[in-house]
Amino acid sequence: MTGTTVAATDAASGLPAVPLQDTVLLPERIGELTGLDGFGLGGELLATFLAAFLIGNLMLAMTGVAGPWAKRKITAAFTDRIAVNRLGPAGLFIIVADSVRLLSKELIIPENADRPAYDLAPIVVAASALLGFAVIPMGSGLHLADPEVGLAYVFAVSGIASLGLVMAGYASANKYSLLGGLRAVAQNIAYEIPLVITGMSVVIFAGTLQMGEIVAAQHETLVEIAGISIPTWYAFVNPFAFVLFLIANFAEVGRNPFDTPEAPTEIVAGYQTEYSSVHFVLIYLGEFLHIFLGGAIIATIFLGGPAGPGPAALGIVWFIIKIWGVFFATQWLRSAVPRVRIDQLIEIGWKGLLVLSFANLILTAVIVGLIA
Amino acid sequence: MSTGLERQPAVEVTEDELEAIVGDRALARDNHLNAPGFVIRPDDVQDVLKDLRDEAGFDHLANLTAQEYPDRYESIYHLRKYADPTQEVSVVVPTTTDEPVSQTAEPVFRTADWHEREAFDLVGIDYEGHPDPRRILLPETWQGHPLSRDYDQEKPQLVTLTEHANPIQPDHHDDESDTMFLNIGPHHPATHGVLHIETVLDGETVVDVDPDIGYLHRCEEQMCQQGTYRHQIMPYPDRWDYVSAGLLNEWAYARVAEDLADIDVPEYAQVIRTMGAELSRIASHMLALATFALDVYGDFTAIFQYGMRDREVVQDILEDLTGQRLMFNYFRLGGVAWDLPEPREEFIEKTRDFLDGLPAKVDEYNDLLTANEIFQIRTHDTGILEPEVAKQYGCTGPVARGSGIDYDLRRDDPYGYYENLEWDVVTKDGCDNYSRVLVRMQEVEESAKIIEQCLDLLEDWPEDERTVQSNVPRTLKPDADTEIYRAVEGAKGELGIYIRADGTDKPGRFKIRSPCFHNLSALPEMAEGEYIPDMIASLGSLDIVLGEVDR
Repeated sequence: MTGTTVAATDAASGLPAVPLQDTVLLPERIGELTGLDGFGLGGELLATFLAAFLIGNLMLAMTGVAGPWAKRKITAAFTDRIAVNRLGPAGLFIIVADSVRLLSKELIIPENADRPAYDLAPIVVAASALLGFAVIPMGSGLHLADPEVGLAYVFAVSGIASLGLVMAGYASANKYSLLGGLRAVAQNIAYEIPLVITGMSVVIFAGTLQMGEIVAAQHETLVEIAGISIPTWYAFVNPFAFVLFLIANFAEVGRNPFDTPEAPTEIVAGYQTEYSSVHFVLIYLGEFLHIFLGGAIIATIFLGGPAGPGPAALGIVWFIIKIWGVFFATQWLRSAVPRVRIDQLIEIGWKGLLVLSFANLILTAVIVGLIA
Repeated sequence: MSTGLERQPAVEVTEDELEAIVGDRALARDNHLNAPGFVIRPDDVQDVLKDLRDEAGFDHLANLTAQEYPDRYESIYHLRKYADPTQEVSVVVPTTTDEPVSQTAEPVFRTADWHEREAFDLVGIDYEGHPDPRRILLPETWQGHPLSRDYDQEKPQLVTLTEHANPIQPDHHDDESDTMFLNIGPHHPATHGVLHIETVLDGETVVDVDPDIGYLHRCEEQMCQQGTYRHQIMPYPDRWDYVSAGLLNEWAYARVAEDLADIDVPEYAQVIRTMGAELSRIASHMLALATFALDVYGDFTAIFQYGMRDREVVQDILEDLTGQRLMFNYFRLGGVAWDLPEPREEFIEKTRDFLDGLPAKVDEYNDLLTANEIFQIRTHDTGILEPEVAKQYGCTGPVARGSGIDYDLRRDDPYGYYENLEWDVVTKDGCDNYSRVLVRMQEVEESAKIIEQCLDLLEDWPEDERTVQSNVPRTLKPDADTEIYRAVEGAKGELGIYIRADGTDKPGRFKIRSPCFHNLSALPEMAEGEYIPDMIASLGSLDIVLGEVDR
């Protein structure tokens, strides 16, 4: 599938002809705009840094809004409450107040904590999620890099988070943390495989691991009903894979009903029990970044990435809406679904999702093979 | 709403037959107002209790009271039958002051374990053969026994920091094994108060559980002994089960004191009491459902919030009725403090509105909670409490009824206005966490039925017959050495009080039989061998309030 055919179908289907964002990546564009590209490797590096800075901050700002404010508001709406409404419009300034509060808290480090590991864990958790955003095409030209192994890269870096959770778990010198850390590993191993396998079924469709190409492949029209054309988003092409991926993703980021690693009523707060102040903020931020990264992966490989009605410049808006849709779903589940027990969780992972994801992979391969 | 577990009518045992069973072992008779009493030797305890249980069917050790007289110590075993709690017998075991040693009843009734620890802790009687003779409410380093006669309250408890055992200090159970020792609580999100559970884990499996209570011990029994019967004791019961079950607790004291001093309660006041008590029960069960959902769901979910929302409505109604939100102090000996608030119609309508809206809310709970598949796999067949085990531990209330034990004092040992109303006792025979939730959920509906009927009665009650209190003397001085044990069906189960009058206007001994105390003692039976989350769920399904456990 080449870029030219995609552009052609776009014109035919009436969808905005998105000049596939990947043709010019963000660092190059910044280089052009600022003239940094004239300074050789140094300029290129600086431009890349600026681009990464931009995207990193965009994501951090989103989690900043989501963590202290949106989460409360969404949960409150589900549970007949009002939530924050004192500071600023709709309580939005609570974000500022919360940041000040959290950052000014005393940093308490347990006596027996394994120091470098204890301090590194929050950074690993947060950074692994941030790294993942590097290859996500977000539309409106916001795309840092588009390596050929894009999808594999995303899964790989987001998997590093497990390491951070284990570090947090054992380095805290707290039994609750240890239990939480162990649960996190067991869970991540159990759900990483179905996640990747289900992701592979998309790769079979698209024939590539490159994120830009996967997005491009979703621009055709699947069916047209009453003048509304349904694009070939893989969520529509293979809803089964979409649901599997969604479930595995919730488990992967440790959200309800799979939030056993934290399980507040059972093991206090799991691996983050002993973290306070800045450390806590980082872990918390990391968790939210992972939810958003999960949302970004889902949006990219199942929901057509930045595609949507309107001019191509609105790509980032659509993309963010899709990410928030996934975030909203996590909060919805949090308000309504009980947590499964750890043994049930592992069972669902190994005996249920793994089998289903392989079935899905084989089925997809057969169908794609037949059509091709 | 019984589920095939029809009640077996209990065989009536006459006093003569009892005498025959106890036989020569009875040194004397010591009848209590509620039950015949037999005085036996301290080394006959197990024999006599065993015979009474096996031959006469007294399978419920409702309470154990220990007290010190000038010349002796005394342990009283209050026995009754699950099949018919009106049949009661007291076994009185005196021991000498010099050597207060009595045989343990633990092999016959498991629940004697905690009770005898408490008797040792507070009064100072030693129980020979007791498997675990530690203090229970007070710290291990405590000096003396606070309810014994020679205890000096003025003397400060000087325990140095190094000497003082830190209850959460140990972090190993057994150095050799691969198990992990874990202190759950006293500050933990799921302990429903300050409860400390010493847990031994094998991986995620719970191997051993030992609840450590006493963090909320407030000397309630002793405070009640220092108050006069007429007015000074009534505020205390509100503070036992302090989460909105206040009126039910007050009724426990009202019932025992009224029976002790032979006070009549006007019928009109009985109807108001019944209505108020059932409102309290709804509020209490709503909270139980909400917090159980919190334990299983793991977050402050919609269920929790809905539970609080609906409880709030009940709380408002109770506030209109009593003037207080939690610490009602509304019952008086011989009636209630005042009539329904004016304008009556408004109050009745407000209550009716709540009752009318209740079925829809219950449906909502069923949709979100009991019909939820994940909730079902989490609660089915977890925290199993077999009926025989439950009886051994003296479990009552929704916990017993969730194990298929058809035992409800409102019906079996009638008081108030319950006899004249149409309602059912809810039992489920699943014996698991799920059954206990269902029982509470359906009890809410039954309570609503009772309130509905009470409202009808109150609405039509002739205006000139609305007596809320009978004439009760300003000072009550029941005859010395009158002893009585009476219980009501509290929100958590059989809430009983034992009072010994000593001829003054204050009780000589005031002993509270807390249902939560018994129910909590059964936790190890339910949790051992299960996963941690199931232990937490089981604890939630017991619906304990530490204020009532520790008193």
